[in-house]
Amino acid sequence: MSELKRHSVAATEGRYPMTQITATVNGREVSRSVPNHYRLIDFVREELKLTGNKEGCGAGECGTCSMFVDGKLVKSCLTPVQKIQGAEVETIDDLDRDHGMTVLQRAFHKCGSSQCGYCIPGMVMAATSTLRRNPVASLDEIKEGLGGNICRCTGYQKIVDAVELARDVLNGSKPESALGEEDATGFIGHSTRRLDAPAKVTGAIKYAADMWMPNMLHMQVLRSPHPYARIVRIDTTAARAIPGVECIITSADVPGVDNFGVAIDDQPIMARDVVRYVGEGVVAVAAETPDIARAAVRSIEIEYEVLPALFSAHEAMQPGAVQLHDFAANNICKHTRIRKGDVEAGLKDADLVVEETYQTAAIEHAYLEPEAGLAYLEADGCVTVQSPSQNITHHRHMLARILGRPINKVRMIMSTVGGGFGGKEDMLYQGMLALAAIKTRRPVRYVFTREESFVASAKRHPIEIRYTMGLKRDGRITATRMIMVADGGAYAMSTPYVMNKTAILGPGPYAIPNVWVDAIGVYTNNTPCGAMRAFGAFQSEFATEAHLDLCAQRLGMDPVALRMVNLMRDGATTHTRQQLDRVLATECLSAVVSAAGWDAGVPFRQGKGNKARIDLGGPGTRAPCTLGASLSPPQKKVPVGSPDAVMNK
Amino acid sequence: MLTFDQYLTPATLADALRALHEIPGARVVAGATDLLPWARDGRAGDVHLSALVDVSRLAELGGVSLAHGRIRMGAATTIAAFQHDPLLREQAPVLARSAVWFADDQLREQATVGGNLINASPAGDSQPALLATNTNVTLARLENGSIVERTLPLSEFIVGPGKTRREPREIMTQLELDALPGHGAAFEKVGHRRSMVISTVCLAALVKLDRAGLRIEDARIAIGAVGPVPERLDDVEAFLTGHMPTSASLREAAEMAVRRVRSRSRQAYRREVLVNFVERALVSALAHGGLAVKRSPKETEHV
Repeated sequence: MSELKRHSVAATEGRYPMTQITATVNGREVSRSVPNHYRLIDFVREELKLTGNKEGCGAGECGTCSMFVDGKLVKSCLTPVQKIQGAEVETIDDLDRDHGMTVLQRAFHKCGSSQCGYCIPGMVMAATSTLRRNPVASLDEIKEGLGGNICRCTGYQKIVDAVELARDVLNGSKPESALGEEDATGFIGHSTRRLDAPAKVTGAIKYAADMWMPNMLHMQVLRSPHPYARIVRIDTTAARAIPGVECIITSADVPGVDNFGVAIDDQPIMARDVVRYVGEGVVAVAAETPDIARAAVRSIEIEYEVLPALFSAHEAMQPGAVQLHDFAANNICKHTRIRKGDVEAGLKDADLVVEETYQTAAIEHAYLEPEAGLAYLEADGCVTVQSPSQNITHHRHMLARILGRPINKVRMIMSTVGGGFGGKEDMLYQGMLALAAIKTRRPVRYVFTREESFVASAKRHPIEIRYTMGLKRDGRITATRMIMVADGGAYAMSTPYVMNKTAILGPGPYAIPNVWVDAIGVYTNNTPCGAMRAFGAFQSEFATEAHLDLCAQRLGMDPVALRMVNLMRDGATTHTRQQLDRVLATECLSAVVSAAGWDAGVPFRQGKGNKARIDLGGPGTRAPCTLGASLSPPQKKVPVGSPDAVMNK
Repeated sequence: MLTFDQYLTPATLADALRALHEIPGARVVAGATDLLPWARDGRAGDVHLSALVDVSRLAELGGVSLAHGRIRMGAATTIAAFQHDPLLREQAPVLARSAVWFADDQLREQATVGGNLINASPAGDSQPALLATNTNVTLARLENGSIVERTLPLSEFIVGPGKTRREPREIMTQLELDALPGHGAAFEKVGHRRSMVISTVCLAALVKLDRAGLRIEDARIAIGAVGPVPERLDDVEAFLTGHMPTSASLREAAEMAVRRVRSRSRQAYRREVLVNFVERALVSALAHGGLAVKRSPKETEHV
């Protein structure tokens, strides 16, 4: 498709032809001149400053940008702005038409359906569309109606609950009082409405990308296309010549100590001399518009000397492998060891020794809010950065050192976080923003695309876990050995702490007399890995629980019974030799087993001609979504008048 | 990011064709749901075009009508119309059944049937149903200043992944397909999830029973996502025509599909799914058409 990539002068300089758009937005006629490549989401958010609907992916996948155009719900990131010429647009911002929250929004509030809130504008719009179309929509129709909307926090159940509640209140089968707060004296065992929910279900709350300041500049970043390369030359001449480019920064512009990290100081705010992963920031541009900044980034020339890169943690540890950081011998970032008892003796004492290797994959957090930030100078010279950082105090300390200024001249404000899951603990862009704000003395905003978020941010560590477990015939574990090698990627980020957690929690809540754990975090030229929900425990415990199932199979035991035999009890000693006085693990497992209706026995019995499990899909389990509910014969409609009138009551 | 010098919304087909003729590099856009995600990092990156010619509101590309047992449908008909247009729901229920599996509510409001065919993705979800209904497509071009049209069967229109017989300056205007109100219809699809997912296997089945309601008078099955282009299972159709279906014979018919898998990846998985899909779709299309045939109790394996 390269023949299509002919750049006109407009594209080279980031100034595109303008187009006049006249439309009715939230009941008000607007007529604005905007760049002709604007999509509906750009028109609404950037031009009209209606920031209720968010942009989560820019590719039609996530649904948070959903808006009505002439009564039809569309994804505004896939709608060229010209398509709304003369049309009527409805966004989340004024869905209630100044009558307070709609019934649906109140139901979301009541049901605790908003967590980070970033997907909620789209969820509310999609649910509104579903109930406008059919005020008695079935559960399946509701699920189908929300099918194009992704939520990363709540798990959907509360959202679906809210839509069902709203449907019932709207069609009169439940009283309006059902939307009110539960009358309860305590908190435990009762649902309490979240304080921030009204702002989130209406789209009123401001995330970093929703903020706007007068005189604000827009940042774009040139990122490394190479996993490992020496930066020979950076030529920004052409970029500097583009009108509207206010500042171009590289690591050479950093005034202080450009070396930081969550756990180890091994990172510059932009690549210094070498790039160590694909997606590492190299040059940042601040310009009058994002278009100009993007054009400037395209015109920067960088000469790289591409170096042989390391893509495997095992290769990286080999003697003679390239050293990615001079302080880390054999590229080992962190080696956590746990030694308890005598593992060799424990294995010798076992009736059965089971060995297996497990491999987990790198995982992206995919919080619905891509990274974004806004930096500006206060009147007293203090530089302030607003961003959804999960670690503002540490960021502030690091940034003060990087900028070479006293701590009281650096301020970090945590903007509403649209999902983080650990992925926003690393300082990926705040340094560039602060530096550009100081240099230009103007506010600077930077909003990642979803693709940038994917390539630049830390991932969950992929870990290879070599497992050896010894067991007695009755199921008692005599010894556990776990050798774990984690690919930490180009920079340490949270790797040392993640290695500790994966080691400490890895062998599981079981009383094991002999334990040997090695958790090794290794530098490679892959995307850095850092904090993610469960912080390393997920990987090692996955291996442990998978391994126990395998052992149960070999022992001919029920996997629950195997765990019951081994669970820690009162007075147990943990793998790190902490003495526990009370342990409720067996009670906890018993409660789960009884709630799940567990069908005891050896796993995988069907293959041997035995009776199939009877505990799958039983009462209380969630049925899968069935599409096409709307194609079944129409249900009896409840006379509720115009759906629109009802939704806005 | 997709940028362009001009975005044109011509009033007539003639104007649109003229724009394609006069502006080198101009590109047709309808729903834009595939165009905008294409021009992003990781795919085509930043793309600058001379012009986009929006054909979604052209009267010549709209309308849904019925004449002599054939449905005429504008190429700019949205996939949502498959579900909501009363004539399409009545006369070609297989379209609605495929539409509910197509992307999601929002995209179906924007995406057009013409766009889905011209994209010619091997996994395009509208294709099996349109193949099974013997769809013809009409393309218009400008020749010496006047509009010239040509019509060809959909089965000949798509020639490979992303490849069609459409010439660069042609616009698809209309589709014509069999009205099959008396056929039982079924659609099957599997992907990683239900909404917004590219098919790993998809399939449309249509069955008409004879007057006694026991024998298959007409059977049509079309598959997608298992090879470079979607295709009809003509051998299975021939086997079923005039046939009195039983659990065992539907299994036999389904097994015939196994060699159709020519995908680049996951062939074993697709074979297993495809065969079971053919069987399940036939059972459910027959049920929709008024004949209950029990499905063989154990799924067939082709790993």
